[in-house]
Amino acid sequence: MNQQSSTRQQRLRIRLAVGFALVGAFILVWLLLPGRLPEPLLLLVVFAVIGIYFDWSAVEVNDHLVVSTTSLIQITAAVVFANSEPVVAMALIGAASPFQPADFKYRRWFEPAVNFGQLIISATLAGSLFALLAPETAPTAGNLSQFVIAAVAASALHGVVNFTLVQFIFRTVFGRGQARPWSNTVSIMLPYLGTGVLAALLGGAYHLIGLKSLPLIFVVFFVSQMTFTSYARLREAQDSTLRGFVKALEAKDLYTRGHTERVAYFSEMIGSRMGFNGTRLERLRWAALIHDVGKLAVPRDLIRKRARLSGPEYEQMQRHVHLVEDLLAEVDFLQPMVEIAAHHHAHYDGKGYHGGHPHPGTPSLEARILAVADSFDAMTSTRSYRVALSQEYAFEELRRHSGTQFDPEVVEALIEIIESRGERYGSPDVDSEEEARRRAEGVKLDG
Amino acid sequence: MAEPQVTGISAAVFLACLGFGAWMSSITDFDGRLILLWAGLIAAAHLITVPAPSGEHLYLGIGVATAVPFLVADAAGFLAIVTLGMALAWGAFTARRNLDRLVGSEFLAEVAALMAFASSVVLLLEITDRNDLDSDTGTLLAVAGGGIVWFVTRALTRSLVGLEREDLSARFLWLLALEDWAVIVSLFTSGALFGLAFPQMRWWAILLALLPYAFSHLAFVRYNNTRITYGQTIRALAQIPEVAGLATMGHSERTAEIAVAIARDIGMHPDEVTELEYAALMHDIGRITLNEPAILRAGYTDEDLARWGAQIIGEAPFLDTVGTLVREQHRPYRSIGEERDPTVPLASKIIKVASAYDQAVHDQMLSPIDALELLHLGSTYDYDPDITASLRRVIAARGALHPSNR
Repeated sequence: MNQQSSTRQQRLRIRLAVGFALVGAFILVWLLLPGRLPEPLLLLVVFAVIGIYFDWSAVEVNDHLVVSTTSLIQITAAVVFANSEPVVAMALIGAASPFQPADFKYRRWFEPAVNFGQLIISATLAGSLFALLAPETAPTAGNLSQFVIAAVAASALHGVVNFTLVQFIFRTVFGRGQARPWSNTVSIMLPYLGTGVLAALLGGAYHLIGLKSLPLIFVVFFVSQMTFTSYARLREAQDSTLRGFVKALEAKDLYTRGHTERVAYFSEMIGSRMGFNGTRLERLRWAALIHDVGKLAVPRDLIRKRARLSGPEYEQMQRHVHLVEDLLAEVDFLQPMVEIAAHHHAHYDGKGYHGGHPHPGTPSLEARILAVADSFDAMTSTRSYRVALSQEYAFEELRRHSGTQFDPEVVEALIEIIESRGERYGSPDVDSEEEARRRAEGVKLDG
Repeated sequence: MAEPQVTGISAAVFLACLGFGAWMSSITDFDGRLILLWAGLIAAAHLITVPAPSGEHLYLGIGVATAVPFLVADAAGFLAIVTLGMALAWGAFTARRNLDRLVGSEFLAEVAALMAFASSVVLLLEITDRNDLDSDTGTLLAVAGGGIVWFVTRALTRSLVGLEREDLSARFLWLLALEDWAVIVSLFTSGALFGLAFPQMRWWAILLALLPYAFSHLAFVRYNNTRITYGQTIRALAQIPEVAGLATMGHSERTAEIAVAIARDIGMHPDEVTELEYAALMHDIGRITLNEPAILRAGYTDEDLARWGAQIIGEAPFLDTVGTLVREQHRPYRSIGEERDPTVPLASKIIKVASAYDQAVHDQMLSPIDALELLHLGSTYDYDPDITASLRRVIAARGALHPSNR
C-alpha cells in the first residue's frame, strides 16, 4: 500500500470516529438532559455489566447465526424498564457496550469510537419504536403479547440500523470489496426476530416471576455461551492443525513456502468479492488449505525437480496425491473441500485434464476460484527454475487464458480487488518467462 | 449380566413403575388427565437426546421432570407422573425397536436416577415446607438438591453397569459421566424456568424455557460434530506417512485403538485419553520427513523420528501436549540403577507399548501371547511392566489369549 492512500485512509478513519462519537455523545446528552433516569438504577448497572461481559466474549456461530447478545440485552432492558424510560436504558447500555478490555490493551480507538456512536444511534431508534408500540406499564400476563410485538419490531429495527451503519463504515473505510452484499440481509435479520421474542419473555419473566428468574436465565445463557466458546476453540484447533501440517510440508521447500497460505488468502478475497459468505467462504478457504496436502506423500525430489516430470514420475506423483485425497475425503466435513481441491486443475471450458483423464464439464465456481488463486501465486512467487514474474505479467497471462483455462469473472474479480487494495506481488520488472529463467541462473537457491 | 437377563429385569422394572404409578394416581387428588399429560411429556422427551461432551447422549426427560414439582404440589401426584412417565418411556423405546440398546442397562440407569431424583425432591420439599420458605424458593432448592442426587446416581449406575466389561475401569466411567455437567445444568435450569414461569406466563413459558435451551442444544450438537470431525481430520492426516509408503499401513490406527483401551483400563482422565488417542494416531507422523532423500542418506534414529513428529505437531498450537507425548515416546521408562523415571509421561509409555505390540503382531506375525512375551523381555528399560499387565487384561477381555488363538 502506498504512503499517500494510507494517510488518506487514516484521515478518513479519524473523521468517521470523531463524527460517530460526537453524534453518540449528543444523543446521550439530549436523552439525559430532562434528568429522568431509569429506576432502579442498580439493575441498569447490572444489565450494562452483563452486556459488557457478553460482548467481550462474543461468539459468532456462523454468518447465518450471529448470536446478537448486544441487541438481546438492550431490548430485554427496554422491557424491564418499560414503565421507566426504556429509551434511556437502551441508550446507556449501548453506550457502555463498546468498551472492551482488549481495546484498552491494544490501544485501539477507531472501533470503540465508531461503535459508541453506532450503538447509541441504533439503540435510541429501536428504543423509540419500542416505546411507541409497547404499553407504558410493566408487563402483565394479559399484555405480554403486546410486549412481544413491540420487542420484535424494535429488535428488527435495531438489526437494520446496526447493519446499515456497519455497512456504511466498512464501505467508507475499506472500499466496496469488504462489505457484505445486501442479498444476505434476510438471513442476518432472522435471528433478530428470535432475539425480540426472547427479550420480551425475559423482561416479562423479571416482572412476573421476580428476581429469582434471573439467575436461572443467566445460567442457561452462560452454559450455551461457554459451549459455543469451546466449539469455536475446537474449530480453531482443527483449522490450526491443518495449517500446521501444511506448514510442515512447506517448511523443507524454500520455493513453496507460504504458497498455501497465500492461495487461501487470494481465494478468500475473490470469494467474498463474488458474494460468498459464511459456510461457503469457509469451505473455499479450507479447500485452498488442503489443495496441496497431497504433496506431503510425494517424494521430495519429485516436487523439487527442475525439469519436467517424465510419464511414470508424473503418474507416481498423481497416485500419491490421489491417495491423500481419498484419505481426506473420508472426513465427512472435508469431503466437499476435497472435491473442490481435486478439481482445481480442471479448465473453465471443460477441456482441461484432471488426474490424466479429461475432466467432464465445467468445474464448480469454487474450483475456478482456487485455480485462479493458485496460478496467480505460482506466477508471482519464485520457483526452482525461475524467479517471480511481475504482477502485470501475471494479470496479462490470466486474462489471456480467460474463457479457456480460467473463468473471466473470477480473473477480473482478483485483478480488481488487488488493484483496489493497492497490494503488489511478484518481482517489479520481470515481464517474460525467459527473463525469469535467465535471472534464476544467476541466483541458485537450494532448499 | 447377559442380555436376556437385563431385558427381563427391565421388563420387571417397567411393571413395577406401572403398578406404583397406578397406586400413586389412585391416592392423589390431582387430575388424572394432567398426570397422563405430564407422564406422556416425560416419555416423549426421552425420545429426544442431546450429545454431551463425554460422547454419551442424554435424554431430555429429566428436563421435563424438573418442571413438574413446581406445578404439582402434591407428592403422590409427582411420584405418579414420574413412574408412569418411565413406564411410558419403556413402551416408547420398545415400540421404536431399539430394545437391546436402550431397554437394557441404559433404561435401568435412567429409572434409577429418576427415582432417586423424585424421592429426594419429595424429601427435600418436606424439609423446606417445615422451615416455611416461600413455595417457589423451596421447590427450587429441592429440585437443585434432587438434581445433584440424580447426577451422582446416574454417574454411579453407569460406572457400575459399565464395570461388567472387564477392560473398563470404574474411575474412567465415573470421570466420563462427570464431564457432562454443563448439559445437565442447562437441562435442569430450563425445566425449572418453565415450572416457575408457567403459572404466570402460561404458554409463553414454553418459549421462555425453550429458546435459551435451544441455544445450548445447538451449541452441544455443534461441539459434538466438530469433536468428531476433528478426530477424523487427525486420523486422516496421521495416515499420510502410510499412504506415502513410509510406514506400515494401518499401524497408527491400531496403535491408537490399543493405547486407548489400555488408558481406559488404567483409568486415565477422559481428556487425557483423547490426547493420548491423538498422540498415538500421530506417533509416526515424523516419518513424513523420510521422503527427503538427504535424510535417508544421512540416517536417523527413533529419537529423530519422535522429534520430527513433535515438530510437525508443534506447528498446531492446540496440540502442545500431544506434541510432547510424541516427543517423549522413545524414552526408556527407567534408566540404569533407577526406579521409574517420573518425567516420562504415562501416555508416552502407553504409546510405546501399544506400538510395539502392534508391530509384533502385524509385522513379525507373532501370536498375541508371544507378542506379550516379547514385551515382557523388554521390561527392563523399554516397556513399563504395569502397562504391559494392563495390555494383557485388555487383550484377554477380547479373547485373544484363548488357547485357540495361540
